[in-house]
Amino acid sequence: MKKLLSTTILSATFAVGMLAAAPAFAEDVLHIPNLSYRTGPFAGTGIPLMNGQRDYMTMLNERDGGVNGVKLSYEECETGYNTEKGVECYEKTKGEGIVTQPWSTGITLQVLPKSNVDKRAILAPGYGFSPMADGKTFQWAFNPPSSYWDGAQMLLSYVSGGNLDSLKGKKIALIHLDHPYGKEPIPLLEALAAKHGFTFMAIPVGLKEMQNQSAQWLQIRRENPDFVFMWGWGAMNAGAVNEAVKTKFPMEKFLGIWWSGHDGDMASAGAAAKGYRAISWNVPVNDAPVMADIKNYVADAGKSDTPADQAGWVFYQRGIAISMFLVEAVKAAQANFNTKTVDAEQVRWGLENLKIDEAKLKELGMGGMVVPFQTSCSNHTGHGGAWIIEWDGAKFNKVSDQLQADRAAIEPLEAAKAKEYADANAPWPMQECK
Amino acid sequence: MEFLHSILVKPFADMIGAPDFLLQVLWEGLVSGVLYALIALGFVLIYKSSRIFNFAQGIMVVFAALSLVGLHEKGVPAWLAVPLTLVIMLGLAIAIERVVLRPLVNQPDIILFMATIGITLFLIGFGELIFGGENKVMITEQLGIPTGSFAFEPFGGFVSIEQKDLTAVIGAVLLVAGLLLFLNKSSMGRAIRALGDDHQAALSVGISLSMIWVVVWFIAGVIALATGIVWGARADVSFALEVIAYKALPVLMLGGLESVLGAIVGGLAIGLLEKLFEIYWGQPLLGGNTETWFAFVFALVILLFRPQGLFGEKIIERV
Repeated sequence: MKKLLSTTILSATFAVGMLAAAPAFAEDVLHIPNLSYRTGPFAGTGIPLMNGQRDYMTMLNERDGGVNGVKLSYEECETGYNTEKGVECYEKTKGEGIVTQPWSTGITLQVLPKSNVDKRAILAPGYGFSPMADGKTFQWAFNPPSSYWDGAQMLLSYVSGGNLDSLKGKKIALIHLDHPYGKEPIPLLEALAAKHGFTFMAIPVGLKEMQNQSAQWLQIRRENPDFVFMWGWGAMNAGAVNEAVKTKFPMEKFLGIWWSGHDGDMASAGAAAKGYRAISWNVPVNDAPVMADIKNYVADAGKSDTPADQAGWVFYQRGIAISMFLVEAVKAAQANFNTKTVDAEQVRWGLENLKIDEAKLKELGMGGMVVPFQTSCSNHTGHGGAWIIEWDGAKFNKVSDQLQADRAAIEPLEAAKAKEYADANAPWPMQECK
Repeated sequence: MEFLHSILVKPFADMIGAPDFLLQVLWEGLVSGVLYALIALGFVLIYKSSRIFNFAQGIMVVFAALSLVGLHEKGVPAWLAVPLTLVIMLGLAIAIERVVLRPLVNQPDIILFMATIGITLFLIGFGELIFGGENKVMITEQLGIPTGSFAFEPFGGFVSIEQKDLTAVIGAVLLVAGLLLFLNKSSMGRAIRALGDDHQAALSVGISLSMIWVVVWFIAGVIALATGIVWGARADVSFALEVIAYKALPVLMLGGLESVLGAIVGGLAIGLLEKLFEIYWGQPLLGGNTETWFAFVFALVILLFRPQGLFGEKIIERV
């Protein structure tokens, strides 16, 4: 009897305890994994981006209690920019995660077929496979606000003054990381070279040659191209800029994609690289209200790893913009499905119905920080365009109006490559768009 | 016929047609070769004295360079940061000998090799914990390394020689000369060589294995610091520097793991040949980036004829 009594009391205590703890267990949380890299050869470029992403999420949790009352659980899985590790991280985080952020074109290409099966949206802002813009074919992949092919076309348009036919007879070199990311613009540049009559040459840089690019820059000296575009990453960016300075290559002829416009990469060349330009879909706006909120709620509260002097970096503020894309997709999904704890499929809908216009940016305290864009069922990039930023020896400044890619020049190749991909991976699920 | 012409005639015609460019290619190849030799020397010294293939040489380059820059960021002047970094590398050598190598004496070579992989992983984590993963700028000017360039106009053309590259070549030559003097003329150097030749015999005449290992790992640390300064000055100091250690592998295959001379000759040969091949054959015919594999293929071809490498010891075993 005594034993029965004590068992009953113990059970009752446990039950009451469980009931009391229930609200804590049931706290609404959205798991947002990020396949980050804060270690390895590419950490220098990864860290400020990841810091920006994390600080924005932390700010929302601290300032607003999350998104519509749901806390954001931002969780990093370290890949070291290694494709195999990236796939492991994808598998590890896909269970609870409402999205996947692969942070490498190589990893994106690996998880692209899996996303259809696992029903997890891939958010690859400004990177990945350019034909992912075709939402009918790649229903689970998103690369807003501009694709690499948009970037390549805008660079050509910029250096030609808007008339690509004026490039006829000229020579354009692409110095690129010998990696899926670096090779991504090549098909479009080759197609446009054939169409407009300029010579295109690709100059690959191997991983082991990132810091010793003398052979590549000797080739540039010998070929004497009219313009050099760069698709560099990690130590390759600093290596290339330093070699350009060393070989006295005119900086006004040297332009990079948005991942080659990083303040940290320019530090070693400093004033000598003055005039180097990159195309970028975000620019730092240090006095933006969102920056003040991040300072108040995150940095001053000791909840940020970002050094104060890096808060004005292009890459840090790009990280903030990327987290904003995702959070706005979550908000759109919450409103559409009338639920706070949205699942991965609902977030996919949110990413497909993103409307980041000027008014929205102003409302978010991010006016002028990122190009406006709008996604749809058939358009998973948004094609918001970009600006040109120029290194003044100490920081990047915006030096152009907003550029827009000539979509008519890109779409045929985009459609052909999307079809080619789907055919090669048949049976590939397609979605109907109205 | 056209194909043969592009392989056998055109490259040489290009060399003769633009001799100033050829000179520039040779200079860049020489600089690369000296830097490869420097990395390879770190491997050779440790292998000679302990038969350990030190997988950690690459991360030691990163660790030494980050220590130097990190100390300077903390306000330590450059002239003091260099000796303090050397003290750190000495501390590292002592720690490796005490914690890793001493307990593994008499273990098979593969165990010691695996231990150096462990050291690598530890130093990656420890380095990132202390210094963070961000790129850092090498304190080139603060160290008194000139950053301008000399311009020449031979054959009516143009050749540019970076002063920091010239400093690197002179520094590397002096370091190697000092090292050769130390190995050949000092009693400690002779002890290291004796240990390399025959462990048992060296120990029987009272040579301290522990002391030699500390000295050798410290010298490898000095070489790592020199390598880190030179490579870091070309771009940034970052964990990407670790991968350049892999460039030393074909040098070691070519020169032989036990030969200081082999490391120097192998480094120079690979530096020059891979640059010439890339510029005159690789880029026009193969799309470039042949430096990634050329040195390995070249070393393999040499190994077909000399399995011990150019300067390695030919081992004859009675069966």
